Amino acid sequence: MSNARHREWLIAFALILPFLVIYGLIFVYPTIRMFMLSFTDARLIGEGDWVGLENYTRLPGDRRFGTAFWNTAYFVLLTVVPGTLVALAIALGINRLKGRLQAAILALFFLPYILPVSVVYLIWDWTLNFQFGIAMYLFDAVGLDRIPVFKTTTWFMPAVAFVTIWWTCGFSVLLFLAGLRAIPDEIYEAAELDSSGRWTTFARITWPLLWPVTALVLTIQLISQLKIFDQVYLFSTGGRVNDNLVLVYYIFQRAFQSDQGGRAAAIAVVLFVIVVVVSVLNFQLTRLSGRSR
Amino acid sequence: MTKQLTYGAAALAALSIMAGSVQAQETVIWWDFLSGGDGVRMKQLIDDFNAAHEGEITIDATTLEWGVPFYSKVQTSVAVGEAPDIMTYHASRIPLAVDQGVLQPLTAEDFEAMGVSEADYAPATWDAVTVDGQQYALPFDTHPIVLYYNKDILEANGLLTEDGLPVGLDSREAFTDTLMQLKEAGVQFPLASVTADGNFMFRTIYSLMAQQDGELMTDGEFLAGDNAEKLTNALSVLQEWTNEGLQSTYTDYPATVALFTSGEAAMMINGVWEVPTMTDLQEQGNLFEWGAVELPVIFDHAATYADSHAFAIPANQGSEMTPEKRAAVLEVMGWMAQNSLFWATAGHIPAYGPVTESADYQSMEPNATYSSLTENMIFDPKTPLAGVAGPIFDVMATYFVPTLNGEMDPAEAVDEIVYELNDM
Repeated sequence: MSNARHREWLIAFALILPFLVIYGLIFVYPTIRMFMLSFTDARLIGEGDWVGLENYTRLPGDRRFGTAFWNTAYFVLLTVVPGTLVALAIALGINRLKGRLQAAILALFFLPYILPVSVVYLIWDWTLNFQFGIAMYLFDAVGLDRIPVFKTTTWFMPAVAFVTIWWTCGFSVLLFLAGLRAIPDEIYEAAELDSSGRWTTFARITWPLLWPVTALVLTIQLISQLKIFDQVYLFSTGGRVNDNLVLVYYIFQRAFQSDQGGRAAAIAVVLFVIVVVVSVLNFQLTRLSGRSR
Repeated sequence: MTKQLTYGAAALAALSIMAGSVQAQETVIWWDFLSGGDGVRMKQLIDDFNAAHEGEITIDATTLEWGVPFYSKVQTSVAVGEAPDIMTYHASRIPLAVDQGVLQPLTAEDFEAMGVSEADYAPATWDAVTVDGQQYALPFDTHPIVLYYNKDILEANGLLTEDGLPVGLDSREAFTDTLMQLKEAGVQFPLASVTADGNFMFRTIYSLMAQQDGELMTDGEFLAGDNAEKLTNALSVLQEWTNEGLQSTYTDYPATVALFTSGEAAMMINGVWEVPTMTDLQEQGNLFEWGAVELPVIFDHAATYADSHAFAIPANQGSEMTPEKRAAVLEVMGWMAQNSLFWATAGHIPAYGPVTESADYQSMEPNATYSSLTENMIFDPKTPLAGVAGPIFDVMATYFVPTLNGEMDPAEAVDEIVYELNDM
């Protein structure tokens, strides 16, 4: 009996071994190295000398770190909940359609998601470019002043947030659609028999039953938006870079432009901790609020 | 049987000869970051080199992404011994490269093997590849910024001198006046400026600082003494042009070129590397009469910012270069310098003196018009923080953009720049 269990255990271990090895090699080991690196004055390449907590203690007084931190928070605020709501609205709309039309409209909304970020950048640069952007001719036509969208601090983050939602909400729409289809028709039929109105049906049936999917979408959005880099990098090229910093961009600046691996690692650790704490909190909160319903 | 043996022996002999020639043939792995009009011309030079050295040396070239991607890749590949045998390098980034241990020093014997010497180069250019008395690269060109101008528009408004140059190149008042007259004549943008890209504007602004003998860095300190004031002066001129509606605002690089080539802007400050764009457009019959000249003297004397494309040998970790390979690399560098006349068609000014002194070069337009600026060139400060796509660029860009477009007071911008530069 114990022998059989032993064998079972061995087989199980053998089966997960490849995963453990790869996970350890490309995730756990580099993460440990990152923590160790953050206590040294290492450059991008090679070892450095131990400097203790210096890389961390200088962060509160570091102006660029402050900018990067608050910009990241602002960006999360602008994208996570609004992005989720937009995706939900689109999913509800698409769900009312039938057959080929539904597939076609879904494809339209999903299309941006398959574009690489560089293409997204070019499309929106062509649209919002101050001198030649198509949108600027519209501004002229209605008599509004042109706005240098990606060159002013007021408009930069909202514009990048808008582009990001446009770009990525297709995926959330798919998740919501899957969630909507999983809600049994019988429930809606029963509600109809009780002559429940549209809003009541949504508030009492669709929204609560969809909550697990909503929680999932929120968590995915939160984690990916905390790690924003590409769009900010592309849209701020040559512009007001240090005003538009986000955390990952600041890590990149320290590591690859200033050749300070240790200081970059310290910021990376801070971001790592933020992502872990925020996503655990988010998950627990959404679970709790789901239960209380 | 004997016949077969003879064949066999012949085949063997042939094989060994081939093997011998294969051994003697060196393949030089080459990386560059030249992807624009100058990249096409560099490929031509490489093909010419390969043809001239058939059976001896072959260049195997790869073009990589300009800027941070290129330099990060060089640094990481040197660390693991996978860097190329030769690469293009910006002179402005050499102090950082030396600090990182990325480059092999070049000795007097190396230069002798290339067939060049210090005397063949302008002192400022030679100094740009020198750190603590040691050379780390061979300058291939200098690429300053110049003033492009639309001869048709200027002529129509009586703003062209007899020599075909714009009027008012000798003082701030005179140049501003020229811009004003263009504005009054209904030109939408008298001057096209890359006002949306502070990285680019560093070149213009640093030139204007140098016209007042200002320096970015003295004794390891940024903008010490009256250097801050000189930067403020430089920014004030540019902001004045914006406030008076004399230059394009929030314009990025491609848009600037488009404003000029479409005739909406009468003049443009841009790098010499845009010369091929103009030449090609004109050949197709799609461009007005144009010219390019040294920047106007806005302050005390002429000065223009320049950087230099140079050739360098990576200091690969853990893999020693064979003497034969090194000799082949030096041959490549020397040949490129001596044949750099063709490179001038990309707008750049060849760094190798004998080429720029040649009659062929002297008759080349517009290069000959602006090559006078070689005497007034200034390069980046010698610090690991400088250089294209370096940390100084980001700090500057962040404050240049709002200032040049009239959002921020020049003095305030300079205070912020000083704080951030000294905080890096």
